[in-house]
Amino acid sequence: MRAARGPDEGPTGDATSPAQPPIRPAIPGTRQHWDARATSVPEIEAALAKLWGLAAREAELAGTAPAPPSGTFADPRVAARLDQGGEVRIRARTSVVTLVVVATRPETLERALDAVGELAARHPSRAIILAPGDPDGPARLDARISLECSVRPLSLSETCAERILVQAGGETAQHLAAIATPLLIHDLPVVLWWADDPPLGSRQLRELTEACDELLIDSGAFRDDGRERLAALAVLVAGGALAVRDIGWMRLTLWRELLGGLFDHPLLTPELASLRSVRLDVLRPGTTIRLSKAACFAGWLAAALHFDVAQPLGPKRSSESLVGTWTDGRREVRVEFRPVPAPADAGALAVGSLQRVELELGRGRRLIRARVTRQADHLLATADWDGAEVARRAGRLEPFDEAPYVAEALERFGHDRIFEESVAQAARLVAG
Amino acid sequence: MRSRRHSRERRSDVARRAAAPPRAPAARPQINPLRAGLRLEKVPEPACVVVFGATGDLTHRKILPALYNLRRVGLLPAETTILGFARRPLTDEQFRADLKEAVARFSRVPLQDALWADFAAGIFYQQGEFHDPDAYRRLSQRLDELSVARGTRDNRLFYLATPPSLGPTIIDQLGRASLDVEGRGHGWARIVIEKPFGQDLESARQLNRDVQRVFRESQVYRIDHYLGKETVRNLLVFRFGNGIFEPIWNRRYVDHVQITVAESLGVEGRGAFYEEAGATRDILQNHMLQLLSLVAMEPPIAFAADDLRNEKLRVLRAIDCDWTAERLARDVVRGQYGPGWVGGKPVPGYREEPEVAPDSTTETFVALKVEINNWRWADVPFYLRTGKRLAKTATEISVQFKQPPLALFRGLQAEPEPNLLALRIQPDEGILLRFVAKVPGLGLDVRSVNMDFTYGSSFVSDAPEAYETLLLDVLLGDASLFTRADEVEAAWAVVTPINEVWEAWDRGAHRPEFPNYAAGTWGPEEADHLIERDGRRWRRL
Repeated sequence: MRAARGPDEGPTGDATSPAQPPIRPAIPGTRQHWDARATSVPEIEAALAKLWGLAAREAELAGTAPAPPSGTFADPRVAARLDQGGEVRIRARTSVVTLVVVATRPETLERALDAVGELAARHPSRAIILAPGDPDGPARLDARISLECSVRPLSLSETCAERILVQAGGETAQHLAAIATPLLIHDLPVVLWWADDPPLGSRQLRELTEACDELLIDSGAFRDDGRERLAALAVLVAGGALAVRDIGWMRLTLWRELLGGLFDHPLLTPELASLRSVRLDVLRPGTTIRLSKAACFAGWLAAALHFDVAQPLGPKRSSESLVGTWTDGRREVRVEFRPVPAPADAGALAVGSLQRVELELGRGRRLIRARVTRQADHLLATADWDGAEVARRAGRLEPFDEAPYVAEALERFGHDRIFEESVAQAARLVAG
Repeated sequence: MRSRRHSRERRSDVARRAAAPPRAPAARPQINPLRAGLRLEKVPEPACVVVFGATGDLTHRKILPALYNLRRVGLLPAETTILGFARRPLTDEQFRADLKEAVARFSRVPLQDALWADFAAGIFYQQGEFHDPDAYRRLSQRLDELSVARGTRDNRLFYLATPPSLGPTIIDQLGRASLDVEGRGHGWARIVIEKPFGQDLESARQLNRDVQRVFRESQVYRIDHYLGKETVRNLLVFRFGNGIFEPIWNRRYVDHVQITVAESLGVEGRGAFYEEAGATRDILQNHMLQLLSLVAMEPPIAFAADDLRNEKLRVLRAIDCDWTAERLARDVVRGQYGPGWVGGKPVPGYREEPEVAPDSTTETFVALKVEINNWRWADVPFYLRTGKRLAKTATEISVQFKQPPLALFRGLQAEPEPNLLALRIQPDEGILLRFVAKVPGLGLDVRSVNMDFTYGSSFVSDAPEAYETLLLDVLLGDASLFTRADEVEAAWAVVTPINEVWEAWDRGAHRPEFPNYAAGTWGPEEADHLIERDGRRWRRL
């Protein structure tokens, strides 16, 4: 095992003969990191202890240094951070969560590492990134451990984040839970992020989730048309033991806010009771239409408006659309998923992305249309009443990165009742 | 009392003529089921925010950046409209350009041009004199037009960002123009009033009478931005969201409480204002007594505006206000800074500041011992201190607990210190618990250690500005974090007798020997004596 330390801008040394750390106060914007490697779980634990020891020693040396007069610093808050009276300055571990990431493909591993790197500054946590390799190769474990502490520019608070990247192969790669479980921080919530198509119902996933409080997936990455995964997700969610968060669902938040916002208008709110039909345009650049996102959105509408599925989605004659019906016991509502080709400015849009949602409502001859449409960089929501526009709003689309969604999952912990009800309805709608 | 209230049918004629589609029903709004689970399950209705004093500093530095940021994060409906009202002749376009510069400069996040263009489309300007009834008739007409054009549903929020002396005039004129009227085809009408809420008890009562002659108390939002700070709001969560503190939050376990609001800044060009105010009116009457009431209040029966304010009021009313000259001399210390060094730089004394009288007796520091006469806090002193040009900027509440009943570990090298719980408001917002631990080794040495929780190290997401929190609350109609008229008067009832005695002393032979502390120190020595006399000491910050 070897370990190294050093600030970003400075040299690195070897933990077995560490260079004397310099004495320095907390300077805003500075970042320090310490690294180590290991080939077994006990070695990882030992490396972590050693890295924290190095970090604490450096902090202690900084804190016991003679306190310079406050005028030394341009910002008086910097000076204020220095302990007075010779008290020992402690580098506190302030983890609020343990994040376990599984990335089975090199490209997802790269994305996951980027996201974890971004999160380190926002969420003091321990991140354990598991990258299982060839299951038929020799059993192996190669771990890179790093500890990074940084001082935020404005608040001057210091946050420290640990990252453990474990690349496993052979038999070892088939028992990821055995690697992750000993490394979890006691008594902190554990979030498992499966960064690829999640093998819902598999032994591997089940073993890992037994040690976790929350599972984070991306329904946008479900394989094929997503029906099988949606059904498995509905079963998992109905079990109630595990809180599940879905990046695909979170990407629908702006769609939901804009469509829901239209019905804040006191004129339109009561008209929700007169819903006639729902149409969702779903991006289909190739031959497969991925249903998961549209199904979740439709499931949300059904759950919120107290509908249940009367007729699951099925092919519509003379078109590529899929059509089904909801009922509330008194009337039926037509639901249509219409595949549409990718627009020229589709960019990084994933298969199955929503392009447009349109609701038709109204009693008798009155016709109200509420729609949300994807534009180049924003969503536009409008509602018209017999052709006259009564509400209009827009919302800027967020960048495609995963990090903000992972951050949201870490911040909003626990069961998302609305999501769970939506998934149940979604699975019923696409049950084929 | 409210004779003008029901005389306002003409105003909404324009609004009523709004063509198809039909106007929204005036009945109780239905719940939108699609809101469940979204970021805000209840969103503000569209409204027109009328800012009086629209060309002033507060509008530029705080109000507009706060509204822009609320819009940026999608917490304000797109129809939200801002109508600036001031004396200077400006066009809508000039006003927008002026505000764009201000938001770019003072917003906590960079200005986005596309979003600004959308936001600015809802900004308008109305020139007028504050005392001119015609100006308010034009304002009323403009509001009707904007309500139709922008879909603000006749909801009006009046924000008084003007010098305090103009408040009664504006409120009176709003009443004369029937702009306070709610219901019966109109939307809601609310008014935000900035502190100071009076100069003493009598002027506060007069201001409340002036306000309530036109607006109902439920329409009035007295803003003290301190209450919008994230950590102040968290005080309530800390006290009433945790089960372990409330049982020991009383005279049986608490030895005393200290509240410090220290500033390293001076009067920063506000010499004329500060000459009239002093530390007592500027900080003690509002910020400090609000903090005290949040620390000392009983648990409210619900987290609702009036339940919270009722409990705060009970604390203020329980404070012993019998400030005799003897008690004042013993339990209250005032001070004024002289020249000194702050942050490594020399700074002038208060009397050398611009717009300050060379023989001023205005206090820039006050420390006092307060007693709360109720079952929970009887005999538990609350020591308060606030001042300008102190050694550092820090706001903290510390609750010091009593020593254990039996001192098992006395006679050791270091005397164990009593437990202490410190709630840091700024900087380094957080909570610190001091307890005693054994020093590792063969002996039995003990020492105090700190368990220190800092928000910045656990929640790294950006907290909203106080004005963002408070403006959103006003638009939502939630008055929890705003001061009620009776609270204001109860706070003045604590402070006014102190000022009256001091003023009497200043006129007689008891003029204070100011300055009595150097800038960059922790205030006059007498402040230390005040607490040391009771066998205690100020916490070192």
